[in-house]
Amino acid sequence: MKKFVFWLILIVCFFGLLGLMASDKPDKAAPLGLPSVSYPENNPQTPEKIALGDKLFNDKRFSDTGQVSCATCHDPAKAFTDSPLKVSEGIQGLTGTRNAPTVINSVYFESMFWDGRSPDLEDQALHPFVNPVEMGLKDHQPILDIVRSDPEYTEAFKTVFGKSGENITMTEVTQAIAAFERTKISGNSPFDRWYYGGETEALTPAQIRGFDLFINEGRCVSCHLIEQTQALFTDNRFHNVGVGINMIQNDIPELASEYIAAKLSAEEVDVKVLSDKRSSELGRFALTTGFDDLGSFKTPTLRNIAATAPYMHDGSVATLRDVVVHYNNGGVTNEGDPVNDFLSGGIRPLNLSDEQIDDLVAFMEALTSPEFADAVKTSEQK
Amino acid sequence: MSRKRNNLLVAAVFIMIFIFIIVVGYADEFSKEDLERWQKEYMSVVETGRELWVSADLGTNGVSCAQCHPNAANTHPETYPKFQQQLGRVVALRDMINWCLQNPLEGEPLALDDPRLVAIEAYVTYERRGVPLEPGKH
Amino acid sequence: MTNRNISRRTFMKRMGALTAASSLPLSLVELSFADSHKNFMFAYISDAHIQHITGTKFVRNWDRGLIRAVAETNLLQPKPDFIVFGGDLAQLGTRPELDHGAELLSKLNYKTYCVMGEHDYYLDLGEYWSKLFGPQYYSWDHKGVHFIVLNSILTYDEWTHERWPTAEQRMLEMAGLDNPNGSPFMVGEEQRKWLAKDLEKVDKKTPIVLFSHSPIQKIYKGWNFWTEDAEEVQALLKPFNDATVVYGHVHQIQYNQIENISFHAVMATAWPWPYPQSYAQAESNLPKLTVPMNRADPFFERDATGWQFINLKTGRVTMDYNLYNNTNRTVAYNPKTGQPEDVDFQAADKIIPPQIHF
Repeated sequence: MKKFVFWLILIVCFFGLLGLMASDKPDKAAPLGLPSVSYPENNPQTPEKIALGDKLFNDKRFSDTGQVSCATCHDPAKAFTDSPLKVSEGIQGLTGTRNAPTVINSVYFESMFWDGRSPDLEDQALHPFVNPVEMGLKDHQPILDIVRSDPEYTEAFKTVFGKSGENITMTEVTQAIAAFERTKISGNSPFDRWYYGGETEALTPAQIRGFDLFINEGRCVSCHLIEQTQALFTDNRFHNVGVGINMIQNDIPELASEYIAAKLSAEEVDVKVLSDKRSSELGRFALTTGFDDLGSFKTPTLRNIAATAPYMHDGSVATLRDVVVHYNNGGVTNEGDPVNDFLSGGIRPLNLSDEQIDDLVAFMEALTSPEFADAVKTSEQK
Repeated sequence: MSRKRNNLLVAAVFIMIFIFIIVVGYADEFSKEDLERWQKEYMSVVETGRELWVSADLGTNGVSCAQCHPNAANTHPETYPKFQQQLGRVVALRDMINWCLQNPLEGEPLALDDPRLVAIEAYVTYERRGVPLEPGKH
Repeated sequence: MTNRNISRRTFMKRMGALTAASSLPLSLVELSFADSHKNFMFAYISDAHIQHITGTKFVRNWDRGLIRAVAETNLLQPKPDFIVFGGDLAQLGTRPELDHGAELLSKLNYKTYCVMGEHDYYLDLGEYWSKLFGPQYYSWDHKGVHFIVLNSILTYDEWTHERWPTAEQRMLEMAGLDNPNGSPFMVGEEQRKWLAKDLEKVDKKTPIVLFSHSPIQKIYKGWNFWTEDAEEVQALLKPFNDATVVYGHVHQIQYNQIENISFHAVMATAWPWPYPQSYAQAESNLPKLTVPMNRADPFFERDATGWQFINLKTGRVTMDYNLYNNTNRTVAYNPKTGQPEDVDFQAADKIIPPQIHF
C-alpha cells in the first residue's frame, strides 16, 4: 500500500510539473538580443486574451466596406507590414501618406506611429478604425455592435474580461489587440547569434565589416541602438533625416503658422497627416508644434528590415542601399542637393565608398530573425 | 650540534644579512634627480598633449579640441571606462578621443598605440588631476 | 535602452509640456501692458563662429547652427519686433567668414542689430565688421525701452597694438578661450564716458536693456568670462529702476542679479561651453542663481546650442531658450524675489543636475 501511494504522489507531481511547464508563461525569457518585455499592470497577458486579440486583429468586419482589418496592412506573412507598398491602402484602395510600420517588436516602443502621437499599443489601435483612408468607420460603434452580439466574441470577452453586453467597450477590444501584438517579438538573428551568442561564424566577412561601419564611420548606432547586452535598434526618439521635407521647404512658414494656430489634438492630427501629404512631411511638429520636431519622425527598429521594403515614413526610399546612400549624402536623395534647414544635428555626409555601402547593406540583412526569412524574399524589389 | 654545522649556520646567516643589505640598499631607492627627471619626461608629454589639444590639424576641418573643451574641461576622464552611448558599448577614454577625432573634427582615428594618443590622454588627465575616480558614471 | 511603457498620464504630461513651451509666443499676446511701455518680443541669435576651412568650404557644423536658428526665428509666432545678433559671427574675423555669416543672417525677415564679439574684432579691429554692420556702440529707443549696444571685448592698448607682430597672430591669441596669452575684456573709458552721457537723457523709470558680448561681470578670468571694468559699468546702470544686461560669449545658460541689474546669458548657435566649475584646477564664480543646462551629446551637433526670444513685460526680461534635443527653458524676472529665475527648474527639488546627459 505504501509503495502504491508513493508512486501515485510521484506521478501526480510529474504531471503537475508538466502542466506548469506547458502553460503559456507570459513573461518567458526574451529572444537572444532583446531585453525582457514589461507588460502593463492593467493588461496582463493570458492565452485566451492573446487568442481574442488575434481574432480581432484579423477581423475585416471592423471596416466600412468589410474588406480591411489590421492584418491588411500588417500582414503576418509580410513581417506584419504590407511590403512592397510604399504607402498603405485602406478601404476602396484609398491611400494615405505613410508607410505601414511593423508590429514586430513594437512592444519596445515608447510611443506609436511615425510621429509618436499615441502613447501605447492600446491607444494606437483606436485610430485606424476611424481614419477615413484606413478602415473608414465614422466611430467605433460598429465594432462594439459586433463584439457584443457575435457569439464567438461574447463568449471570449466573458472568459477573458468577465464582461458582456454594454460592459464590453473599446478598452477591452484594444487591450486584447495589444496583448496579441505584445507576443510579436523576434530576436535571434544572425547578428544576435554573432554579437551576443558568441557564434563567430554567424556573420559573413562583409557583414562584420558592415557592423564595424555601423558603429563607427556610418554613425548609425547613435539612433539605431546596439548596446552591450541587447539591441533594440531604435532610440525611441524623433529625428529629421531629410526625407520628404525637402519637398515642402518653401511651404514650411505657411504650414507652420497654420499648425501653431490650430493646436490639433492627436485624433485630429491622425486624420490630417494621412490625408494631406504636405502636412505629413511636418512629422512630429504637426502634433507638438515644437521647432525641434519640424520634419522629425520616430527612429524605426532595424530588426527584420530586409523584409519591410520600401523605407522611411513615406516609403519613398526603395532599397536598403538607397537608404545608406541617402545618409551618405548627408540627408538628401541626390548628392549636392540643398539640405533642409531643420535637419537633425546627427546627420552629415559620411564619405563612404561603394564597397562600404554594400557592407552596411549586408549587415542590415543579418538582422532578420529566422521566422521571417521567407518574408524577405517577397519583399525584395524586382 | 656539531661545531661544523654551527659554523655553517652562522655563515649562512651572515650571507643572508649581506644580501639583504645589498638588495634593500640599492634596488628600491630613487634618487631625487631621478624623480625630477622622470617628472620632466612626463610633463613634456603633457605639453605635447596640450599642443595637440589646441592644434587645428588633428582633423580635416580646422576645429581643435580646445574649441569645445577649454583646459580639457567637460571631458570627465575619471568616469572611464564607461558605457558610451555614442558607441553602444563600454569603452576607455582613448576610444572616445578617437570618436571625437572622427566626428566633430571630421578626421581619422589614431592607432591605439600612437604616442599622440598617449599625449592627449596625458594632457586630459593632467588637467583633471585630483578628481576621484568614478568609473562608469554617466 | 530601458523598456518603459510610459503611462498615458506621463505621456500626456510630456506632450503638454511641449505644447506649453511652444505656445509661449501666443501667450505673450494676452499679457497686460504695464506702466509706460508696451509688451513686445524680440529674438536673439549669438555666437555663430562661422569658420573658414578653404576656398568655399566652411565648417559645416557651425553653418548648420546659424542656418537653423535663422530659419526657426523666421517662423516665430507672434512675429518679433527685431533681432539682435550677439557677437562672434566669425571665428577668426576674416572677410570670407564675415561675408558668409552676413549672407546667412540676411535671410532673417526682420531688422537686425549687431553686437561686436572678440572673434570679429581682433583681426582688423572691427574695420570690416563696421563696413557690414555699422557702429560698434550705439543706442536706440523702442516702445518705451532704451536699448544700448556696447563693444565690451576691448582690452589693454598695449596688448592690442604692441604685443603681437601680426594681426593674424593677435587674432589667434585671442581666439583661444583658455589661452594664457590672452587679455581680459573691458568696455574702456571712451565707451563708459559715452554711456554716461547717453544715459543722462534717459528717465530713471525707463527700462534699460544693455547688449554686450562679455558678461559685464567677473565670472571666470581664465576663460575671459570677465569684464575688467564691470563695476564701473554697473555703477552707471545703478540709478535706474529696471536695468538688464544680455550677454553672449559664454555659450551657456547663465543668469544673475546684482542689486538692481538682471543679467542674462544667451546660447550659442555653434557649440556649447562647459561651465567654469567643471575645470578642476581653478576657482570660478558662476552666478549663484544659475540652474545649469544639460550637458551636450556630441553626436547631435545642435545639442546644447540654441537661440532665444525675449519678451519685456514690466520692463524686465523673460528669456525663452529654444534648445535642441532638450526641453526648452524659460528664465524670467520674478518681481516678488527681485531676481531672474528659471520658471520650471529653479526650486531646489527641481534643479536639473548639470551632468545629466552624456
